[in-house]
Amino acid sequence: MSNSLIEVNNLKKTFGGLTAVDIKQLGFNKGQLTSIIGPNGAGKTTFFDLISGFQNSDSGDIHLKNKDISNFQPYKIARMGMVRTFQLTKVFDRMTVLENLLFSGSEISNDSLFKSVIKSKSQKKYEENLKDKAKNIMEDLNILHMADSYARELSGGQKKLLELARSIINEPEILLLDEPLAGVNPKLAEEILSLIKKLSNEGITILMVEHNIEAVMKISERIVVLAEGSLIADGNPNEIRTDRNVIEAYLGKDND
Amino acid sequence: MKISNKFLFAVFLTGFSIYLVFALNPEGASRILLNLLTFAGIYGLSAIGLNVHFGWTGLLNFGHASFMGVGAYVTLILMPHAAGREGEITSTGLPFIVALIIGILSAALFGLLLGLPAIRLRGDYLAIVTIAAAEIFRLLVRDLESITGGVYGIINYTENLQQYRPNFINNFSESLGFSPSQAWVCLVAWVSILFTVLFLKRLNNSPWGRALRAVREDEDAVRAMGKNAVWLKLQSFMLGAGIAGLSGVLLAFNYGSLETTVFVPLLTFYVWAIMILGGVGTITGPIFGSIIFWVIISETDRLAFILFENANGQQLAGVRFLLVGLLIMALMIFRPSGLLGKKEELLLDVK
Repeated sequence: MSNSLIEVNNLKKTFGGLTAVDIKQLGFNKGQLTSIIGPNGAGKTTFFDLISGFQNSDSGDIHLKNKDISNFQPYKIARMGMVRTFQLTKVFDRMTVLENLLFSGSEISNDSLFKSVIKSKSQKKYEENLKDKAKNIMEDLNILHMADSYARELSGGQKKLLELARSIINEPEILLLDEPLAGVNPKLAEEILSLIKKLSNEGITILMVEHNIEAVMKISERIVVLAEGSLIADGNPNEIRTDRNVIEAYLGKDND
Repeated sequence: MKISNKFLFAVFLTGFSIYLVFALNPEGASRILLNLLTFAGIYGLSAIGLNVHFGWTGLLNFGHASFMGVGAYVTLILMPHAAGREGEITSTGLPFIVALIIGILSAALFGLLLGLPAIRLRGDYLAIVTIAAAEIFRLLVRDLESITGGVYGIINYTENLQQYRPNFINNFSESLGFSPSQAWVCLVAWVSILFTVLFLKRLNNSPWGRALRAVREDEDAVRAMGKNAVWLKLQSFMLGAGIAGLSGVLLAFNYGSLETTVFVPLLTFYVWAIMILGGVGTITGPIFGSIIFWVIISETDRLAFILFENANGQQLAGVRFLLVGLLIMALMIFRPSGLLGKKEELLLDVK
């Protein structure tokens, strides 16, 4: 067994004739902040979909904490402590910001129909604690003033923040962030970036797909580069910056 | 404040509709009103169940009539009744309340069985499957003549409920010229609504209700949060189907004889119109929606008599069909949130 928290072997996914992901071996260590970059269509989001269970692989296996999670349902993977966000932000539009957080933070057993009919004291207490927890997170993320607004009324950047808040309320071990900075204004991007850094310092393992190379170089401990579904480079930001394969993948081959 | 204004408006409009019944019918208004309120109670209850499906969970269920049908048929068959061409008598059976509970559970179970394969479908596809399943159910019931009485239907079962009719209903009905049996069904329907509404109010702001709304908003995000969206949808399907089952039983007792033609898709569309009129996603909305809807339906029958001399049943049904269509269209354009719906939670955003 390997030491990696997440490990994939011979992972392959094709769409018709197109190979979206074809990775021989790739592992991620506990506590590390890793960015996955690559040109459009490199298979970054598909890779996230595969390891979070939103798509099934054609072949290969995925291990999370030394457990084979290939073809697991997404909700089971999330319950194991690996939570993802989406490239196109998915918030619960017609629910308030607070409700978004309460739903996400509530345990499955708390959601049960039976308990909701009984409305026991312990459930009320649980909900009170949950509300406090949600308020703390909203305060940290500067969205407390929006608590009672419907999520649909938030700006694009605020939605990204809400999605992030929702992902961390259950204190996940691993966060998969799919373009957390896309469409966010520079000032807010700075805030989100420092938040990600802070989460990483708290010991959460973070995998991030991001196109903002400058940001990626600044905060990543390790960068993995994909192109046309395959792994073409893997290393720390300085190594990646000068990697010939990476430069070729982004800018095209040097003919000389 | 805003909500209470909406509520007052709904109450006013409902009151005005009832007033219209008296204004338009110089004779026998109270009898017409009783008939209308009985139907309104039964259909309103059904619409409350549909609102759990669509308003809370976002499930496009166009097979609601089949849930009502399962509830009705199972309950009636378990009690003493007569069925079929020869009117074959089944003289033994379960007491009403036991049969009713089994009927409601069967409707919920039917919801589960239909849901298991279908609920993974999204939006419009679920609508197609549910409407098809409802038709399959209806045709199956029609052809299983030995059990369900087929096209000849089921008769002689009303006593199962009427035997519990309290005396005050008799006295009260006599003084007003009501049919005491219908007055009893009407009362049972409205008491059922009361308890269903109280039950759902309890659930609405609970963690379970919140989870259903999250499913309505974005299933993928629900999954990403570690929640089993399919199971939540199935639970919602079962609860709404159970409520529909209860309303189906009451509908059977209101008619006095049960035939498969009751559960045609038109029934489902009536219930949809009532839910939209009352307010999608609300709990009490369908109650007001249902009363207003039935006043419109019953009072516009005279329109058919203007259009056709001595309008027959088919022409009458045609005019009703037309009006329901126009009503849904007008609501979609001018007030998609219905009487009590919140603009912020508008589900039917068609513009």
